[in-house]
Amino acid sequence: MKNILYIIAASLVFVACEKIVDIEIPSEDPRLVIESEIYNIKDIWKVKLSLSQPYFDQDSADDVSSALVFITEMGGDTVFLNYTDTGMYVSADSHQCIVGNSYELNVVYKGQTYSANEQLQNAFPIDTLMSFFLPPNDRSFPTGTYVFVQGKSDSFKTNYYLFKTYRNDTLKSSDLDDDQFGSVSLLNSLFNVNDILGEIALGKLPRPILFDVEENDTVRVEQFALTEEYYKFLTDVNAQQSRSGTPFDPPPANPNNNLSNGALGYFAVAHKEEVTLVIGQ
Amino acid sequence: MRIITIAISLLFSFSALAQQYTVSGRVKDASNGETLLGATILIKGGGGAITNEYGFYSISLEKGTYQLTYKYLGYKDEVKMVVLEDNQTINIELLTTANVIGTAVVSAKALEKRVENKKISVVKMETAKIKEIPVIFGEVDILKTITLLPGIQSAGEGNSGFNVRGGSQDQNLILLDEATVYNASHLLGFFSVFNGDAVKDLEVYKGGIPAKYGGRLSSIVDIKMRDGNAKKFAAIGGIGTISSRLTLEGPIVKDKSSFMIAGRRSYADIFLPLAPDETIQNSKLFFYDLNLKANYELSDKDRLYVSGYFGRDVLGLSELFGINWGNATATLRWNHLVNEKMFVNTSLVYSDFNYGVDINFAENASFGLDQSINDVYIKSDWTNFVNQKSKLNFGGQVIYHRFNPGLFAPNNEESALIFQETQLEKRKALESGWYIDHEYKHSTRLNFRYGLRLSTFSNIGGSEYTYTKSQETFEPIDVLTDTALYGKNEFYNTYWGLEPRAAVSYNLNTTTAIKGSYNRTFQYVQQATNTASAFPTDQWFSVNENVKPQRADQVAVGLFKNFNIGLEASAEVYYKWMDNQIDYRDNAALAFNEQLDGELLTGDGWAYGAEFYVAKTEGTSSGFVSYTWAKTMRQIDGISGNNPYVAGFDRRHNLSVVFTQKFSKRLLATAAFVFASGQPLTTPVSKYFYNGEWQSNYNDQERNNFRLPAYHRADIGVTLKSKEKPDKIFKSNWNFSVYNLYNRENPYAIYFREIGDSDLEKFPNAKVGDTAAFQTTLFKIIPAITWNFEF
Repeated sequence: MKNILYIIAASLVFVACEKIVDIEIPSEDPRLVIESEIYNIKDIWKVKLSLSQPYFDQDSADDVSSALVFITEMGGDTVFLNYTDTGMYVSADSHQCIVGNSYELNVVYKGQTYSANEQLQNAFPIDTLMSFFLPPNDRSFPTGTYVFVQGKSDSFKTNYYLFKTYRNDTLKSSDLDDDQFGSVSLLNSLFNVNDILGEIALGKLPRPILFDVEENDTVRVEQFALTEEYYKFLTDVNAQQSRSGTPFDPPPANPNNNLSNGALGYFAVAHKEEVTLVIGQ
Repeated sequence: MRIITIAISLLFSFSALAQQYTVSGRVKDASNGETLLGATILIKGGGGAITNEYGFYSISLEKGTYQLTYKYLGYKDEVKMVVLEDNQTINIELLTTANVIGTAVVSAKALEKRVENKKISVVKMETAKIKEIPVIFGEVDILKTITLLPGIQSAGEGNSGFNVRGGSQDQNLILLDEATVYNASHLLGFFSVFNGDAVKDLEVYKGGIPAKYGGRLSSIVDIKMRDGNAKKFAAIGGIGTISSRLTLEGPIVKDKSSFMIAGRRSYADIFLPLAPDETIQNSKLFFYDLNLKANYELSDKDRLYVSGYFGRDVLGLSELFGINWGNATATLRWNHLVNEKMFVNTSLVYSDFNYGVDINFAENASFGLDQSINDVYIKSDWTNFVNQKSKLNFGGQVIYHRFNPGLFAPNNEESALIFQETQLEKRKALESGWYIDHEYKHSTRLNFRYGLRLSTFSNIGGSEYTYTKSQETFEPIDVLTDTALYGKNEFYNTYWGLEPRAAVSYNLNTTTAIKGSYNRTFQYVQQATNTASAFPTDQWFSVNENVKPQRADQVAVGLFKNFNIGLEASAEVYYKWMDNQIDYRDNAALAFNEQLDGELLTGDGWAYGAEFYVAKTEGTSSGFVSYTWAKTMRQIDGISGNNPYVAGFDRRHNLSVVFTQKFSKRLLATAAFVFASGQPLTTPVSKYFYNGEWQSNYNDQERNNFRLPAYHRADIGVTLKSKEKPDKIFKSNWNFSVYNLYNRENPYAIYFREIGDSDLEKFPNAKVGDTAAFQTTLFKIIPAITWNFEF
């Protein structure tokens, strides 16, 4: 009896039964997929091209090797990218994007032209990247080393950021942040950096960007300032990825991208900055 | 020629042709004094009347002697001889036959009568019928039950919502004692908010909506609470595995005044601590509700009613996240008899629906979000029982709406240092409806009902946004370009519409009738939802400069036939045109969005279908079969590549079979089977590798390109009553029920994603990195036991 009741109760909280089913769904012809991010930092420009495939086809994606790829700085030069391998097209030299300038990508494939245009945004630099050790406490916060990042935000304009956090060169977290509550950003303003231990004594635990790091670990935080459109694209990609079969799921739809002619993916121009910290004693 | 004769006689129908007297009064239940609505009064030799929603009737006849028969389903007929020489008041109390159901002799006459009285596209359920409803989860759920009937589709498991003839869930107006109930579900749809013990009568209008109702496009669900026992104190209750309930009722002044108070509380969460998972252990999950009603007879001509409903759901996931929502309604009514022929009811109504979300990330990151809709209205409905052939209804209502689209507030001082309180602009509006409606019996064969409703809607004060289509992106997005500000009490954006309504019925013979109806409806307040099913967090909002009122026109034709072997059958076809149907652009941001109307797209909808119903209502074996074939389409520019698409709640085939067998006076069993075509679904048409993961690619040219597998299940219920002794007041019964008897794993949702490391625990044979279709099932087999009592 207890079991039955527990099952009833449990099903209420949507931990309902889940299974993988074998179904046949409609399919369409392959489409071109474009993946590229270029930065304010001087680097080789890269564009990856592949094709979409039927949903239950479990092979890895087909690469596209026969396309013409070039990026034009609006009012400036055009850079052609050459095919290397695994769908990757790279520029011969390193290039740097400039804040306020727009960049246009063109891909000519099988007689069709696919293009996108994106402007480089400005960004506030990261002020602080710091860590501290939290000893055992009566607040049931796990003991260990926490890492925080702190930056300014703009009170006149909404900024869109992506923070990627690496521990010893392994990507640990990806956080999107749009400081939508005015001058406050959930990610980096929940605490007073000058008195973290004091705040913990008050029973507060600021939201860390990374937890569970050890002495001598290298923590690297990459901050990307994004266009609003790219931010929304990434948000929608995340939402679509986190489907769980509950009524909270968004309606299935493709995220809006900046590519013409029905190409999938995104051509992003982002303001990248990184800060590194070695965890001390 | 025929038409002209009818028109002329219609004109004369308002004037009394000879000296007439009126016999009027109320029809009540002899055991508890509850007024019986829709009871029939037959006059020997032809003609008759039906009691109104307060049990009142009025018949005007020439001087003479008449034999009147009072009839009501589940009650013994009462015959009265009346010598009519002046106006008379005859109040009648009918004896219930509840204990002898199945053995009652049904005269052919009663069956004939029912064909005539059955209104097109209307489902009616009286107390006796409600009590016989198959019980699921140990409790009668009237909203779940009506979804077994033709033309009313369940919105699916885990959802009390329903779709009527191609209408979305927010296009149903649910009234509880005249008050709008904005959200009718408890426990995310496990239960509806209506306590079966507190409900007296339910009427659902799928079409042929009388002019007195308005405000929603697709249907009206009119639910009336019981008045309470005016004869003696009584209690009804039940103790079950999921919830328990108790109703107390009794006279305040015997035969003059009574009260009823009914409460329920679920306690599924009591068992949560048994769960192995800590998060589930700390969860909260329950609902409670309370129905209150009292009435007082001020005089022979005046009666006062006060009724209220209050209900709340609480759901919490450990300390982190909590959501609670609920309705509150209150109705104050005054029945007044102006004279024997004129009945008037005036009501003052309050209705509120609100929900709150609480989030506690940390001590200094604790905040809440609140939303609400709140209505106050006054309405007055007049009925003039002109003569035996004619009844004239008229009246009006004025509703003052207040919308709070969202208040974001920190929960404590520490959080207030970081989070600013943000209030989205509150909205106000005034809605009104005025109607005149004429029910006319031309002959024993031909009846009409036609009317006209004038509805109006005005926004009051606040800012109004102007959007312009932007071509900056490849998918045009509305961009805010201007904001107009209106004064605090300034009326603007006044919309109005005329809503003609008509129904006609023609009896081919005593057992067969053809009926037809037409109605136009407008809707000014609607709900924003972009998730798979309606949720308490889905916001109600009104029309404004950018959102035009929705409009629908519906025609329906039906054939009704009763067979002598105790069967009644009906077939109806309908077609519905809908304008200004709303849907949301892909990836719309609906949560906490001040410019919600910028996320909307509007277009056309159309729906058509055929409904069949066969029922056996008498005898030891009874039941019904209901089948609906329906198609519901939408065409909205900007969605599905501007192509027409199947609405998300379209279910092509719907079949319900309900069978009740009475084995003895003590043992009753019910079985039900339900089948419905699978729900439409948008599936990926391919996948692509991006950002190190497989992403789904959907066909932008075709929304709802696929259907889930069909839904079907069987339920059984057995009720065993305690031994009945004449001197025993206390009665009880045990109800055992099994939901989803053969344990069908009906898909609640199918979704598509990449298999991750965390899936291996559950699916050891799955390959990480492959893409798969996951199906969730909500309710597998669920047994329930309830012990019910009354004294």
